[in-house]
Amino acid sequence: MVGVAEFLFSTLIFPGLLFAAAVGLLYIGIDRKITGRLQHRVGPPIWQEFLDFGKLLTKEDITPAAAQGAIFDFAPVVALGAVVTVLLLFPVNSVQPALQSVADLIVIIYLLNIPAISMMLGGYASGTPFGAVGAWRYVVQLFSYELVFVLAILSVVARVGSLSVSGVVGYQLANGWLLFDPRLWPAFIAVVIAAQAKLLRVPFDIPEAHTEIVHGPLTEYSGPKLAVWRLVYCVETLAVLGLLVNLFLGGPVSHTIAGVTIPGVVDFLVKVFALLLVTTVMRNVMARLRIDRALRFFWTYGLLLVAVSLVLVVV
Amino acid sequence: MTVIVPVGPQHPALKEPENFRFEIRGEEVVDVDIRMGYVHRGIERAMQDRTYLHNVYLSERICGICNVVHTNTYCQAVEAIAGIEIPDRARYIRTILLELERIHSHLLWAGVAAHEIGFDTLFMYFWRDREHVLDIREAVSGGRQLSATNTVGGVRRDIKLEHIPRMLDVLKRLERETRRYLEICSSDPTILSRCEGVGVLTKQDALEVCAVGPTARAAGVDWDVRRDDPYAAYGDLDFRVVIERTGDVLAQILVRLGEVIQSIEIVRQAADRLPSGPIRVDPPTRIEPNEAVARSEAPRGELLYYVVSNGTDKPERVRVRTPTYGNVLTWKRMFKGCTVAEIPIVLASIDPCMACTDRVTLVDVERGRSRVVSLEELRRWKKW
Repeated sequence: MVGVAEFLFSTLIFPGLLFAAAVGLLYIGIDRKITGRLQHRVGPPIWQEFLDFGKLLTKEDITPAAAQGAIFDFAPVVALGAVVTVLLLFPVNSVQPALQSVADLIVIIYLLNIPAISMMLGGYASGTPFGAVGAWRYVVQLFSYELVFVLAILSVVARVGSLSVSGVVGYQLANGWLLFDPRLWPAFIAVVIAAQAKLLRVPFDIPEAHTEIVHGPLTEYSGPKLAVWRLVYCVETLAVLGLLVNLFLGGPVSHTIAGVTIPGVVDFLVKVFALLLVTTVMRNVMARLRIDRALRFFWTYGLLLVAVSLVLVVV
Repeated sequence: MTVIVPVGPQHPALKEPENFRFEIRGEEVVDVDIRMGYVHRGIERAMQDRTYLHNVYLSERICGICNVVHTNTYCQAVEAIAGIEIPDRARYIRTILLELERIHSHLLWAGVAAHEIGFDTLFMYFWRDREHVLDIREAVSGGRQLSATNTVGGVRRDIKLEHIPRMLDVLKRLERETRRYLEICSSDPTILSRCEGVGVLTKQDALEVCAVGPTARAAGVDWDVRRDDPYAAYGDLDFRVVIERTGDVLAQILVRLGEVIQSIEIVRQAADRLPSGPIRVDPPTRIEPNEAVARSEAPRGELLYYVVSNGTDKPERVRVRTPTYGNVLTWKRMFKGCTVAEIPIVLASIDPCMACTDRVTLVDVERGRSRVVSLEELRRWKKW
């Protein structure tokens, strides 16, 4: 009975749905505010994402007649489930994740791809040319950044010798952050750029480039479903950056300052915020790349960077 | 398999309702079908029912962005058929307003272009600086956009002496910023990768389809009405016509930003040499039967007015040829071999002003060739 209650708590409240949604929406709100300031605008208040989310929930839900209803309806929910699950599988508060010894890095890599695949399916199923073109582009983009992303994680795995995130975090607790290992610097740079592509941020917002193909796969989504997609995007940002924090920045560490113990989650969120600042600045100082250039970039420079790290670590 | 992707009449890349049907294979554009006429307003016909003076305000409303050049060209045509010489001070005031308009129009375009290639930060910066120009336009003419200053026989409002130092101060700042943008646009790797060699219009093509304005000058056509057929005070001022050779989107950016710097120089000279005297002569209400063509260099290219009078206080006929009309056909050449990602920036590159163009145009679509994706077609295609 206690086990079930604990499971429900971790899935729905912390670090599951409620926590992920609240922090994700807040962080994207901060991201928008910083973007506004960088662009010499006032920018929206940092709670704007909550308002947008609430507004979308109350809007009319339209499914185009040409859409394949079931796939179109379930794509956002599946994506949301996948990204929330990721938060249950890696350390957020302490070295141990909420669901212990259930899954390792391989599962996390798979789960982080589900939003992308759901978005493609949703785009194809929506029955609009913009959705289809967006999905084509997303496939190409997935094939460009994913290898770099996986190889960067692999170089961490090879360095630590453990496939579990807790193992990597535990190793860092004992030996210091992996970011301070010069052999992993190229991999870290590559994985931050790949995360930018994974989160569809400029210069890699190609699949939903709104001046070109309206909103790509999400063109036909409206109302609550679009709200869920928005939530997926926010939680995915938290999940991807959180994974990088766990792999390179030491993960959640609880500090004791003047006798008061600060829980690890605070440390975790501060580190995620630092990475968020990096990606926000990156997305504001560049123009969108063309899909073929993005592909070429990842298969040349990106691959070269991680290959250097992997060779240095393994040899 | 080719797919028709409709762009417009409602599309985020278009600021005005027009329809383009792109035939694409994967990411490559195979052909484009241009359909216009969504914002036809019948202004030319309306002009025949109004007096010469009233028409000044109607022509001002043909285009929001380049309203001064529209009234200026209309007034030039009417002044020509009525045989009026306008005072020198009016010529200089018109020149200053025309160039301020060119600066704000080009900065607006540059912002839109940056937005089309996904560089929103640059977009915001361009529009921030454009605000300064709008502020000084408001100070000298009373309106941020519509100046309502030109009239038949001169100008309605004088530039006050105290406005000139402020104007020059703003322009000095603007020149510094524009030079920085020129440097950014010709060196930033992401901008170069989106603009260099994209949407190329060769000089030969530009001449064949009669391209005008910055679009033609970016392709190497050395033609500028301001220099080659001077009007207002341009004959007395020194400036350079900015020419590029490559004809791609980058060349268009460089030409327009270069023209902003030249315009700042023109305004400086005009403000410096501003003659004193009256600003207006009284035009006759009725004009004897006559006809005249007037043209001037709008921010988007050569603008042409043809006015026929019939002895009454209303014109017999007014015909307007806007620069975008002259440039529409360049799209057909530019889009050859482009990718979907390049559609918005190439569409935007000629700085289209549809509301001006549609006032008169009905482009005849070859019926046999145009295909519309029906719901049925979409369903079939979806199952692929």
